Amino acid sequence: MTGNLLLGGGLAFALAAMTICFVQKIPSARLVKVTALTSAGFITAASLLLWILIFENNFGVEYVAAYSSTTMPTLYKISAFWAGQQGSFLLWLLIHAIAGAVLTFRRTQAAALGIYFLMQSLLVSLVLAKSPFAEHSAQVFEGIGLNPLLQDFWMAIHPPIIFVGYALLAVPFALSLGSLLTEAASRSWLEEARKWTLLAWSFLGAGIFIGGYWAYKVLGWGGYWGWDPVENSSLVPWLLAAVLLHLINLARKKPAVLAQAHVAATFTYALVIYGTFLTRSGILGDFSVHSFAGSNIGLAIALVNALVLIGGLTIILIKAKALPQGELYKSYSDASFIVLLSCLLIIFIATIVWIGMSMPLLSQIVGEAAAVDSDFYIKSTTPIALTLAALMIYTFAKFRQMLSIGGKVAHVGFLGMLIAIVISSQGETVTQELKPQAKALIAGHEVIYEGQVFQEDELQKFYVYNVDGETVRALTKLHGNGTDAAREPGILKSFGGDVYIAPHAQTIDSVQELMLTKGLFAMDGELGYTFEDAKIDYDDNNQPIQASAAITITDGEVEEVIHPLITVTPDGGASKSMEVFNGRRRVRLTGISGDLEKARLEILPTYERLSAMPVTVTISTKPYIWLLWLSVAAICAGTLLAIKK
Amino acid sequence: MRKIFLIVLLVGFVAYAGFNLAESVTPYVSIAEARATSNGVQVKGLRDKNFEPQQVGDKFNFSLQDEQTGETMRVVFDGMKPDQFDEAFHIVAVGKYEAADETFHAKKLLIKCPSKYEGQQPQG
Repeated sequence: MTGNLLLGGGLAFALAAMTICFVQKIPSARLVKVTALTSAGFITAASLLLWILIFENNFGVEYVAAYSSTTMPTLYKISAFWAGQQGSFLLWLLIHAIAGAVLTFRRTQAAALGIYFLMQSLLVSLVLAKSPFAEHSAQVFEGIGLNPLLQDFWMAIHPPIIFVGYALLAVPFALSLGSLLTEAASRSWLEEARKWTLLAWSFLGAGIFIGGYWAYKVLGWGGYWGWDPVENSSLVPWLLAAVLLHLINLARKKPAVLAQAHVAATFTYALVIYGTFLTRSGILGDFSVHSFAGSNIGLAIALVNALVLIGGLTIILIKAKALPQGELYKSYSDASFIVLLSCLLIIFIATIVWIGMSMPLLSQIVGEAAAVDSDFYIKSTTPIALTLAALMIYTFAKFRQMLSIGGKVAHVGFLGMLIAIVISSQGETVTQELKPQAKALIAGHEVIYEGQVFQEDELQKFYVYNVDGETVRALTKLHGNGTDAAREPGILKSFGGDVYIAPHAQTIDSVQELMLTKGLFAMDGELGYTFEDAKIDYDDNNQPIQASAAITITDGEVEEVIHPLITVTPDGGASKSMEVFNGRRRVRLTGISGDLEKARLEILPTYERLSAMPVTVTISTKPYIWLLWLSVAAICAGTLLAIKK
Repeated sequence: MRKIFLIVLLVGFVAYAGFNLAESVTPYVSIAEARATSNGVQVKGLRDKNFEPQQVGDKFNFSLQDEQTGETMRVVFDGMKPDQFDEAFHIVAVGKYEAADETFHAKKLLIKCPSKYEGQQPQG
């Protein structure tokens, strides 16, 4: 409730800042600063409040219950903020608002600020429409927690970095339209837009690359890029922002390019919003492996998207006559020609990716729903990317002196990235079943499977391998019942590249379920079980917290009483498996009847048995893949360096 | 001259992208429609509980059931049994039907789960 009020304050002052900028002939700079800062202050307070709610384990707030839990470490509690749709919108808004406050101190044109605060108002409205502060009536004592796959350092920092990129691309958009509205032919906005676009491009790129590195390191399917709509939706704005960047630089020297720079600014920001619409509206539900639930916020985002695109293009068209005309380039060997041609090629690549990711939507408009497979992207973009690389090498040889140090580093990084993508994909892959101590040979490497190490308390286990004499451990996070929640690959890094070992799910044949009735004796084939008693613990409001059972296990000679329990969670109940009877059995309580007369007990294979079972692994080699990580780091670092020219 | 260059480039691109698109696009169809064509398609269905899924080497066999008609179809997926397959609610198989062995050969599977989190409702 308080959260929504704070957001309301943010909205009111964003609207006030917008109104002042648009209505007053010569707006008072101080008044604009004060309203912008107040709006940013309210939004910051709302964000801090969300963190407080998360750290207080306030599970009465639906969002907190869905993405946090009492047991999560601090890092993941911080990142639970942006684990879901509502919170990530708030994060975007927060960055947008802070950048907006900074803009008011940088002698930004009033019209540009007006557009920027219009966007800010729309973003607050989107956050309010699907608020992270929504409460629910259910009594909850433990949250569901962050998806185990996302409990990773790189995934924790990936969203804020991506959202810095998204949010800051609003700046060149606002500066462009603001300049058109104030003094159409002016090119004075380009210098400021250049800095913000470089910053945005560097962060968006870093976010995309971190996402790719996470996929490689955690998901275990062997790659870093899957052409999934969620990935593509950030790639397209990144490609267009690269075009924008080059056109801004060119327009500073060639007035005739100004029109193109304006168009690029609008398209880039429109595609930022479009990507959000596509991935967050739920319309791709059946086409993407990213499981965002469907939501009716899609229409609202689509409207914002239409406003950005149609509004931006309309202003450009109205002012088109006032824009400088002239020659774009003198001859085909001109640097301007090469840059413009490169931009066109990048637009081609972006268009292909855009068509591919929008196919489910586009095909529904013209007829039956359809989608493309990832071959489409690879096949269509490769020749264009290679042409682009050739152009870059040519440009580099001829016009190198035109680039700053940062520009050189970034361009070399981009070429290095293309080379590394090709080289690292030339490795070998085998899938085979390995018994403990069995050997697999691949590309001159010897891989021995050594079994599993369980850390029951931490809900994780490791598959242990020996690769060329070195121990490699592949982490698997476990659910409470001991089944795999997230299976990460084991990676041996070396100069020649990575040996990448991805275990597959073990086929567990021997899960047995016992229905126990109070006081009656039951056998699992070897051991006997007697369900003695059960109880449910309630809180002060008479709501159940947990249910527990007392069960006696015996082999005829020894008896042991165990007390398994089920904890009440928002989506039902959760229980952990436990090793009992000196490690001879692993059991888990999966249900207790309301009258406490019946209990359901799962008999699972012991850890020792699991470790002795064979495992199917896919082993692959990734030649010189470090070159890829190095290259993308160079792209981002070089771009940041270029800001200070 | 310059205009011609640009037009040639754009027309060339549209033709090129269109050609690649026509080759790669896979429509979204029902099981009956998938059986009727030998082109690449995407089929969505439920897990057919009457058929025990089997991993044979690096091929995964299961049966897909149409949500509306109840019609079933054998599917062989070129890969390992996906995680969460057992909890799957909807399965989308991408590939093509081959009349020779009356089986749908899937290159890709998308698994949709009711909830990606653990937990079971206590009875009662």
